[in-house]
Amino acid sequence: MKKALIFLIVFLASSLAGICSAQAAELDGNAILRQVDKNLQPQSYEMYRKLINVEPDGTKKEFVLYSVKKGQDKMVALFLSPASEKGRSTLRLGENMWLYIPNVGKPIRITSLQSVVGGVFNNSDILRLDYGSEYDAVSITREGDTYLLQLKAKTNAIAYDSLKMWVDAKAIVPTTIECYAASGMLIKTLYYKNTKDFGDGLVRPSVLETDSPLYKGYKSVMIYAKVQRKKLADEVFSLNYLARVDELR
Amino acid sequence: MRRLIFFILVNLILFTGFASAQEEFSFTLEEFEKKSLEWGGYAEIKLEHTKGNQNAAFALLDSHGDPRSSLDRFTSTLQLDGNYNKGLFSLNWVAQAYGRQDQEQWEDEASIFEVYVSIKPTPMASIDLGKKVFKWGKGYAWNPVGFIDRPKDPNNPEESLEGYIGAGLDLIKSFSGPLQTLALTTVVLPVQDNINEDFGKRDNLNLAAKLYLLYRDVDIDFLLFTGNSRTTRYGFDFSTNLATNFEIHGELAHIPKQSQKILDADGNVEIREIADTSYLLGLRYLTENDVTTIIEYYHNDDGYTEQEQDRFFELVDDANDLFMETGDDSLYSKAASGSEGAYGRSQSGRNYLYAKITQKEPFDLLYFTPGLTAILNLDDESFSLSPEAVYTGFTNWELRLRFSLLVGSSFTDYGEKQNENKLELRVRYFF
Repeated sequence: MKKALIFLIVFLASSLAGICSAQAAELDGNAILRQVDKNLQPQSYEMYRKLINVEPDGTKKEFVLYSVKKGQDKMVALFLSPASEKGRSTLRLGENMWLYIPNVGKPIRITSLQSVVGGVFNNSDILRLDYGSEYDAVSITREGDTYLLQLKAKTNAIAYDSLKMWVDAKAIVPTTIECYAASGMLIKTLYYKNTKDFGDGLVRPSVLETDSPLYKGYKSVMIYAKVQRKKLADEVFSLNYLARVDELR
Repeated sequence: MRRLIFFILVNLILFTGFASAQEEFSFTLEEFEKKSLEWGGYAEIKLEHTKGNQNAAFALLDSHGDPRSSLDRFTSTLQLDGNYNKGLFSLNWVAQAYGRQDQEQWEDEASIFEVYVSIKPTPMASIDLGKKVFKWGKGYAWNPVGFIDRPKDPNNPEESLEGYIGAGLDLIKSFSGPLQTLALTTVVLPVQDNINEDFGKRDNLNLAAKLYLLYRDVDIDFLLFTGNSRTTRYGFDFSTNLATNFEIHGELAHIPKQSQKILDADGNVEIREIADTSYLLGLRYLTENDVTTIIEYYHNDDGYTEQEQDRFFELVDDANDLFMETGDDSLYSKAASGSEGAYGRSQSGRNYLYAKITQKEPFDLLYFTPGLTAILNLDDESFSLSPEAVYTGFTNWELRLRFSLLVGSSFTDYGEKQNENKLELRVRYFF
């Protein structure tokens, strides 16, 4: 009887622990995603990025962008270089995106899948919002020093239907992300590299590389610099302000 | 001498650009620190070979019965833009000069497109004083609600245009509900001797206003123009994304009283008053393999019916016969008067369809974009067709090769234009 009682207690305890562990794993996926977003960027900040498109023969084309972001769904990027792109700015409010070209003189709506600069990065990569605002974690597994998160887009308005995200378990920053279309086709792979201290407690990868089976032999690289907190008015993220983004620098 | 200096200047900039395009790029942030004075622009050369339509009404009208069979033209253009910032103030400018040589003549012109002071006390407000371009409306090829815009060329809708002198106030407010943004733009536009003379009737102060809303992911504008230089007009436009790859837009303009030139049965130019309700509906669609299609339908209520256009073309025919027989150009003068700002506008018909299809980087050819643009007059079924190829692979260079073909029978919109076809090579260097 005593043995039976001990067995029952142990059985119940392990079952309960198992249930709790399964629930924790489910909760942890989204919690880790939130932590990833927090570790990659402050809630309201500015940054400079250099974007390099590398062709199979090694030819490079480079772009420099200044960006500001506020909250989970507001972002603006301004091209500083090369001269042919200078003054172009793109605004994202949730799933709405606009492009302002100085010569055209008015913002036009663009789609997230288009690429303003050519190459492997598209508009949604350049104006990327928090991962947690666009995706839900549907599963999480531990693979050595990394977590593998399976992420599913919250709506069909998101550029990629699902992501596989490998996260450094210690630093809680992504290392590799595979982006898939709804058909299951791999669209591109993102590689986060070169962790750097940007100051003010922000330690995150400073390089993002991408390649795509759709652009065989091509590669695009994004280098981050001067990522820092900045107070921004909501009105900065509006069509009427697009021509004035340079004032924020 | 002047043309020699101009050519040397443009070619020097182009050559310098080609040399620097070969340099390695290094990423040092100091290079991109904001400076109080910033400037840039582009230098461009354009080579055009045009085959004239010698029997067309506008060719006869332009040359009084002796049109050229072809024309070769070389154009050099220099555009300079920039700004100077000091605290809340900034001075902004865009200037353009061109020199053009063909078999008949040399032509050159320098214009200040924009020069204005901006005062920006907060992100929510700004004031602009001076000459500035306003481009209102959501249409790509046409903007019936562009009440204070200069008409753009649907074949080159992204080119710079000259502004008007005025004072503008811009107010923005953001919200967190379904109404995300509310913005009001008001512009005061005087028309006097030497100020905006080509806008409308002189000695008047005009007001234009645009109220913008971003409501439930839809861009909406309500527009108004009032003043005595042009009659009062009301407008509405919208645009939204139906999917990540599908955008729709539209414009509606209503002008209760619009003066319009019209030829009477005797070929005399009269002015009639109409109520003009013009509109545009358009879409932009992106396929999985990066083909972008822009399609727009435009109803131009201020345009002419086929019968009304026929009357104009008959007048030019009569003018040509009279001139050839007697040397009398009086009918040509009448036709020229009817052409100016009326029958001679680039789209003087009533219903048009615009389609532009571009394929971004086909066959893995990075920075290469072939495209095809078609503009169709839906009433007489004449059209223009322009295949083109654009390459932007060399940093700061843009190369565009375009061929335009105009197709239409006699007494049709595109059948009576001056040219039959045109081959154009444009090389532009940005600095």
